[in-house]
Amino acid sequence: MVVAIIMMLVLGALLGFGLGIADNKLKVEVDERVEHVTGMLPGYNCGGCGYPGCSGFAEAMVDGEVNSFLCKPTKPDQKQAILEYLANTPGPDGSTIKIKG
Amino acid sequence: MAELFGLLFTSLIVNNVVLTQFLGMCPFMGVSKKRSSALGMGIAVIFVIVVAAFVTYALYYLVLVPLHLEFMDLITFILVIASLVQLTEMFIKKTSPALYKSLGVYLPLITTNCVVLNVCLVNIQNGYDIGHMIMYSIGTPLGFALVLFIFSTIREKLEISDVPEFFKGNAIALICAAIMSMAFSAFAGVI
Repeated sequence: MVVAIIMMLVLGALLGFGLGIADNKLKVEVDERVEHVTGMLPGYNCGGCGYPGCSGFAEAMVDGEVNSFLCKPTKPDQKQAILEYLANTPGPDGSTIKIKG
Repeated sequence: MAELFGLLFTSLIVNNVVLTQFLGMCPFMGVSKKRSSALGMGIAVIFVIVVAAFVTYALYYLVLVPLHLEFMDLITFILVIASLVQLTEMFIKKTSPALYKSLGVYLPLITTNCVVLNVCLVNIQNGYDIGHMIMYSIGTPLGFALVLFIFSTIREKLEISDVPEFFKGNAIALICAAIMSMAFSAFAGVI
């Protein structure tokens, strides 16, 4: 019984260690603006904009796929804050995004 | 040697995991809508099964048997498979974001894909030696990938064909799967 528990603990620790190393090696660079904009959106995931959830819409905005602000549930002042954030924060390549209100 | 290739052929075609043993139905129905994602899923499953089979086989005979912990095989195998799937997921996310998106939730679901656990457990239960283990662990996922790819080509045709209203979507896909399964049963008894 004790041997079984120790064996499981050692095996789990080894696999966890391996995954930890792999996680560091295979890290994907994510544009941090996507996360920030997702946090500023209402988070209802209503799908009214045509994208899969709020994070999908935030990604599309940061990628420059949309010209106008499609999210309807966002409050007017919050919407202004998002547009200002996107217009004033440069991405990894130094360019900013302008979206009409 | 002939016996080894017999085992490869049997696990690939005659005892196909999906169509004669009915394992791994979830990705078979779920990721077969597009050829490209079916191919990606097939390759991911081949990778996970081959590596998992080797690791679990070594783990069983080098760790569990000397410690007299043979009864722990199921739980240790699940642990190994879950970590391998995590690794595969990270790797695909890094190398091919498009494939990562098209596989969606089915990628982490390889963890619960019974084909993987089936291969690991059958390797032990049937007492395969290294040669038989390799052949069985390669043949089975190849059979899965082959059938998944064939099925995805059929479903792409179904998309544009005139299907009666009642059978549209998954219903006609299930009927096609049943017909495929009957076709594969013709291989029974070849070896």
